[in-house]
This record gives sequence, structure tokens and C-alpha cells, in this order.
Amino acid sequence: MRKKFILLILLQVVLLAGMIVYRHYWVITGKKLLLRIEPVDPRDIFRGDYVRLRYEISSLNLGEMGIEESFQPRERVYVHLEQNPDGTYRATSVSREPPSGKIFIQGRARYTTTLTKWEVTLIDDEGQTHFLKPSWFGSVKKGDRVTFCLDNQGGVVESFKESDSYKPTCKGPSLQGLIEEIQTFKSKVLEVEYGIESFFVEEGKGKRIESSRDTKKVVLEIALRKDGRGTIAALLMEGKRFE
Amino acid sequence: MPVRKEDFSFPKKLETEAEEWLKEGIIDSNQKSWILERYRLLQKVEERAGPGRLITTLSVLGSLLVGIGIILFIASNWSAISKLGKLLIIFISLAGSYGLGFYCRYEKGHYPKVGASLILLGSLIFGAGIFLIAQIYHLKAHQPNGLLLWGAGVLPLAYYLGFKSLMTLCLVDLLVWLGMEASYRMSYVELVPPDIFALILLFWTAGLTLWAIGLWHREWASLKMISTPFILMGAFLTFFIGFLSTFFRPGLSEYVIQLHANSTLLISFYPVLIILFLIAVIFRLLPDRKERGWIYETIGLMILLAIVLILSLYLQWALFSFKGSLRLIFNLLFLLQIIGLIFLGFIRRYSVYVNIGLLFFSLDVFARYFDLFWELLPRSLFFIFGGLLLLFGGIYLERKRRKILASFHLKEV
Repeated sequence: MRKKFILLILLQVVLLAGMIVYRHYWVITGKKLLLRIEPVDPRDIFRGDYVRLRYEISSLNLGEMGIEESFQPRERVYVHLEQNPDGTYRATSVSREPPSGKIFIQGRARYTTTLTKWEVTLIDDEGQTHFLKPSWFGSVKKGDRVTFCLDNQGGVVESFKESDSYKPTCKGPSLQGLIEEIQTFKSKVLEVEYGIESFFVEEGKGKRIESSRDTKKVVLEIALRKDGRGTIAALLMEGKRFE
Repeated sequence: MPVRKEDFSFPKKLETEAEEWLKEGIIDSNQKSWILERYRLLQKVEERAGPGRLITTLSVLGSLLVGIGIILFIASNWSAISKLGKLLIIFISLAGSYGLGFYCRYEKGHYPKVGASLILLGSLIFGAGIFLIAQIYHLKAHQPNGLLLWGAGVLPLAYYLGFKSLMTLCLVDLLVWLGMEASYRMSYVELVPPDIFALILLFWTAGLTLWAIGLWHREWASLKMISTPFILMGAFLTFFIGFLSTFFRPGLSEYVIQLHANSTLLISFYPVLIILFLIAVIFRLLPDRKERGWIYETIGLMILLAIVLILSLYLQWALFSFKGSLRLIFNLLFLLQIIGLIFLGFIRRYSVYVNIGLLFFSLDVFARYFDLFWELLPRSLFFIFGGLLLLFGGIYLERKRRKILASFHLKEV
């Protein structure tokens, strides 16, 4: 009785130890690379205080990559990676089969959205021509009179038509004029999940990492298995390393 | 002599019975006092220290609290405890509670109930360990796997020790896993009624499978100890889903049904469940002595499973060809199930069946009475028809009972 009982308990211990050994083996033998993230909202009810991570490679602009294929939800995909000058990696392509001779990470397709981009040509009241890239420009037609609120770098904060009832006051510089030309570019964006989207931190610290506006300072070190599956090896922030 | 729970309600009845026996001259007054003395001891124990169930309840609740406490301790001191420290706490508390539990229950045997609870605590710590290790290493690849691992680790122990508590933990864990895994597979589908219905059918199958396994275990002496969690959960799940199905209303355009009602997402669960069900049925048939009504019970379960399977495999076809009448079918089916269960419960003197049957009978009556989606006329017919069915059943049984009693030359009491 005693021996059998101990054997069954050992089975549980082996299962737990197996998780630890497996993960260490993965990190030690896997190819390590750095990925940049984008900020998202925190907390995962199931396991306490989590940083939910969204990577730059979490959404892939299929149009820019020149990919015509469409991917079904939950379909396994291989995302091809290339190194940036700063040492982090970016996605260059995506396929259903692992590419040979390239670095790739395995993920699952989540859903596809359509991203619309606008390029607007505006002739202001002094007759000068401006090219602007507003993030939304749906209801405006050629020949409309429009006001653009700009930020200091010349990016569009918001825009409104003269005929709109909603007329905000611009806090920074602004441009007014007639719309000469509107070009719309639509491209499909694929959302991908890699299983490395959460990072546990102690109570309270999660918000700090997520609220650090300059997410370029936060980099994740990922260990890749041969089949492209990744696991988090460490989170690097402001020169500190969290494992 | 082990103390069973029946022993505590029994003495009071026995006292009145013994008085009758004395009057009828079956026993003399000496024998009566000996018989009563045998149970008075237990009564005293109960009066002073509370019934055995209270001890079990206390120590199970205690185990739960300690288990949660350990998780909270690690969580609240996350940065203060090193990685190795966290792992040590997990492994030491795991080994500690299993070891102490084994010592109390088996080695020394002086605190069997508390010992059993400590072993349950060990299994809870094992589950907590899985999630804490996943947390320490940021493993979130696929969360339901953790639950599956927990179940896989506890199941052998539950079978070996024959603990209802461990088996209950295991089954609840596996059902939660099933729900998480299934909803993960459907997570990219917008959940409209046909998809929810596909999930419901999966749980229906799971309930029937658990029930069948429970019945197999009940017939086998070595497994009888742990049959209750299976039967209780299986029957309850089956009836709960059956109850839900009585509200079924497709009411959707053909387009939506064509687009959704996609049971292929969940198809991989079915072969496993069906094989388990069949194994359970075959093993149930093996013993020579079987419980009363086993034929009806087994056939009933198989018919129900067949209906559920046809629905889940050909959901689109069923939704198209039956439409609203599916609801009527579900209602009749549910009523038959309830009557069958109560009937089996009485002929077998099995209170679990009677209670589940009566519970869902009252729920069903209540729900149908306030059912706004049915016309008044079919509703009234439904009640009258159901009521007549039961009344005639009563008349038939009463006549039969009278005949049997007459053949024994006994008067009705």
C-alpha cells in the first residue's frame, strides 16, 4: 500500500518537474531572439497580475507583404522573421508551411481585419499644396472644405468639414483648405497569436510596465524551438532583466 | 467496526420497531435492550462529538482553506520569494500533506477522516503547483492543458484510494477542461444559438458517458466506492442539459444555420466519449448479478446517446428538417427521462435518482407553466396529458400492488 501510494504521488511530482525541465530545455536549446511590443490593457483574471503583451508581429499587414492568401481562424501559420539594425526582429512574410533557411516563429491565425489608409491632397487658402495622412477620413468628398488639427511633427490629430456640426478647436497648429484629391489604400491585416502573450509580474507592477509609454524600451527575449514555437525567456526593460 | 452514516438515523426508527417486535413476541425485553444498546454507543458519540459527516465536512473545508492560503502566500510574496523558493514551497507542501494524510489515515489510522482530507489537500496543491509553475515560467501556450494535466495526475490516485472526494475533484476538473477546450475551439466563431447548441450537445454526451461509467462502477464491488460521483454528476448533467433543451428555439434564418451549426469544430471529442460509453456499457453487462431495471436503464441511456449523437453530427440537417418541432421532441423526451428516473429510483430504493427526478420534475412544471413561447392550448394539453399519464401509472401500480399483497395474505398498512 505504502509503495503504491508513494508511486502515485511520485507520478504527480514527475509531472510538475517535467514542466520545469521541459521549459528549461526549451530556453537553453532554443534560438533566442528579441521582439518588440505594443501596449495593451492589463490583467488576466485567472492568474493574477499579468502583463498582456501585444507584439509588433501580432498583426501582419498582408497587403504590405504582398500576400494574397487568406487564413482561417485557428489555422497554424509560420511567420518569417528578419533582424532589424537594433537587434530586434520584424515579420517579413507569413505562410502555411515552415520556410526553409529562414528564421520563423509558429503561431495561430486569429482573425483578419481590413486596414484603410488615406492620403489626402489639400490646397490651403494661400494656394499651397499639402499631403496629409489622416487615420480616418471616411465621409469627406473631393472639393469639401476641411480643417486639419496637427501635432508638432505635422501628423494629423483630427479633421472636420466646414459643414459638420461638430467643430473642435485645435490645440496645436492647423490647416484649412479645399480637398484636391483623396486616395484610399485598403489592405488586409492578419492577427496572429503565438502563445507568448502574457507575462506574470507581482501585484501592482503590471501597470508600470504597461503604462511605460515608450514601449520601445520594453523588449521580450523569446526562445524558439526548432518547429518555431516560442516561449518567453525574459522581459527586458530599461536595462533590467525580468525572468 | 467502521461507522457509517446510516447508523445515525437508524436508532430512532429501531426503537419504535423494537417496541413492535416486543409486542408481537418476536423478541423479549432482554433482547430488545441488547439490540438497542448496540446502537446507543454510536448515539452517545454523536451527541458528544458530532456526527462523522461533520468531521469530514470540517476537515475538507479546512483543506480548502489551507490550499488557498498557500497559493495566496506565494502570490503575495511573489518578488520576495525566489524562483527556487517558490518551487520548494510547492514541492514540500505537496509531499507534506500527502505524507501526513497517509500517516493519519493508513499508517497510524487514528485520524482517518482528517487524513483523507489532507490527501485531498495534496491534490489541490498539485493543481495549484501546475498553475504556479506555469506562472513562474510564463507558460501560457494553451491554458486548458493545465487542467488536463491536473486531472491526469489525480485520477490514478482517486481510483487507487477509492476516495469520493478525489474523484469529485477530478471529474469537476475534467468537465471544466472540456468546457474550456471546447470553447477555445469555438472562440473564433461568433456564438449564436446553433453553436451554443453544439456545445450543449457535447456536454450532454459527456453527462451520459459519466453516468454510464458510474453504473459500471456500481456493479463492480471493487469500484463501487467511487461510483457515486460519476452517477451523481453524470445524471445531474444529463438532466440539467435535458432541461435546457426544453427551452430550445432555433428561430434563426436558414442563412445563419448554414453558416453556423458547425459541429465539426468539436468532432474530435466524440470518438473518445463514445468509446468510454461503450466500454462502460460492456463492463456493466459482465457481472452475473445486476441491479433491478438495468435493462431499461441501459437501453434508455443508449437511445438518448444515439439521439444526441445524431443531433450533434447532423445538426444542420436536424435544424432544417425539424425546426420548431425539435422543441416538442425535447420536451417529451425530457418528461420520459424524468418518469423513467423516478421509476428506477423507487424500484431500486436509490434516493439519488428519486431526488434528481423530483427536482427536475418540479423545475419542468414551473418552467412550462410560465413558458411564454408556447400557445396556451398546447400548454394546457401538455399538462393534462402528462397528468393523466402519471395518474394512470398510479392506478396501474396500485392494482398491481394490491394483487401482490393479496397473494401474500397481507393487509394494506
